[in-house]
Amino acid sequence: MLRAEAIEAGYGGLPVLKGLTFGIERNEAVALIGANGAGKSTLVRALCGLLPLTAGRILQDGREIQRLPAHQRTRHGIAVVLESRHLFGELSVRHNLELAAAHGERHGAARRKFRMDDVIGLFPFLGGRLDASVQLLSGGEQQMVAIARALLLHPELLILDEPSTGLSPKVVREIVGALATLRSAGMSILLVEQNVALAVEAADRAYVMSLGLIVQELDAAAWKGVLDDEALLQAYLGS
Amino acid sequence: MNGTLLLQSVIVGITNGFVYALVGLGIAVVFRGTRIINAMQGEFSLVGGLVAFVVVESLGWPLAVATVAGVLAGGVLGFAMEWLLVRPTRRRGAGEESYLLLTLGVAFAISAAVLYFIGRDTRSLPGIGGEGSAVLFDAAVRYHAMWLVILSSAVMLLLRLFYDRTRIGLSMMAASIDEDGAATIGIDVPLMRSLSFLLGGLVGGLAGVLVSPLITIHYEMGLLLTLKGFAAAILGGLLNPFGAVIGGLTLGLIESLAVLTVSSGYKDVIAMTLLIVIMIFLPNGMLGRGSRKGG
Repeated sequence: MLRAEAIEAGYGGLPVLKGLTFGIERNEAVALIGANGAGKSTLVRALCGLLPLTAGRILQDGREIQRLPAHQRTRHGIAVVLESRHLFGELSVRHNLELAAAHGERHGAARRKFRMDDVIGLFPFLGGRLDASVQLLSGGEQQMVAIARALLLHPELLILDEPSTGLSPKVVREIVGALATLRSAGMSILLVEQNVALAVEAADRAYVMSLGLIVQELDAAAWKGVLDDEALLQAYLGS
Repeated sequence: MNGTLLLQSVIVGITNGFVYALVGLGIAVVFRGTRIINAMQGEFSLVGGLVAFVVVESLGWPLAVATVAGVLAGGVLGFAMEWLLVRPTRRRGAGEESYLLLTLGVAFAISAAVLYFIGRDTRSLPGIGGEGSAVLFDAAVRYHAMWLVILSSAVMLLLRLFYDRTRIGLSMMAASIDEDGAATIGIDVPLMRSLSFLLGGLVGGLAGVLVSPLITIHYEMGLLLTLKGFAAAILGGLLNPFGAVIGGLTLGLIESLAVLTVSSGYKDVIAMTLLIVIMIFLPNGMLGRGSRKGG
């Protein structure tokens, strides 16, 4: 459903993505792993339209979308939870969610619709904190608001950039549980993570990224045994 | 000092305070939507007042039509400002200080253009409700001053509802709080910035039409209004348009009471000194940190 072909992008003339190619099919969860500085977050920004490509193309169901600005890509079924979440801290949880829901209303009628009740079902704490200011929530709660906000755009593909960073193991478990629920409902997920153990649990297969390139593609069998592949972990993740 | 004189000063202070509040409101609207300190807010008022004057005096059309034309002129100027100057500057990665310089430069350019094309002559619009006054405990209150307070209050209330209750208002807020977050939920961030300047321009244009019967329109009027508006907006908390009302009223009352108790020549010195004292003790504005969220 989403394919990046030989994409290049960077900051201030400095290339970060150097001809990277990868793809994700409908109804699958794919992990993207790599060490700090591999270019994972840059790839996420390029995919969702926050960073323009200098070369290559991005195809969604065969249609080129690389020239679309970020706010239009959500209409094509791509929602992203950026690293650091990028919530509207001065607004309430309700306003954060309602804004996404209002913009999501205009999106593809054929796609599965997420309502406020659905996201509260997924993250029950939201029900009691709707009127709280987002900036007063804990990091874990903010991450759940960010995922809920993305879901209200009714995506076919959910991209998550380092969703476990800085969160307690309990919150991480909750998020992994939510992703499993979304997977079983048929949503495609691209999970960008440094926490390989978490990624193995949430994804069907994986790409390994290093210095702006995909250096290895791990099929389901290789991916499930990756935690035992010390050579690979050492080479690309430094662990 | 007798009671009537005191009451008259309070009435003048409240009237001026609402003028400062309207200009400060425009500054807060632009800042809230773009995080840009707009040093040409007073020029929206200058242009709005001038357009209204031309419609009334040169075309002979009714004041209501002139009011609409003046408000729209401010809005068009605001939108054009964002589209033609702010947006290209942002595209080139400008820092916050660049916008202050940009808007200040345009303010001086507009002031100079008015001086060149229209001259030093002062002009005045007729007041809403005529030139008459009502008497309140022996103090005179111009009908126009009453309309100014009523219309300004209505605009402030509507703006509060706009930001709190409408999708477009919330989207404008969201776009200014976090551009990337806004873009990734489908908000057209550049459009929201344009709309913030448009809204700031509309408010500025209205301020121009409402102040022109009280203070004459002249080429330096914009900068003077901007300074007072800044004081009102910062005093109330820049992120909260409602705070500009509190700030404007405080400023207006301090000024008018300074005139009454000391001398008109010292009113700005006394007002600004008190503002400095207030800002030292209340650095987040008179409404405190809460003002950063309110609407």
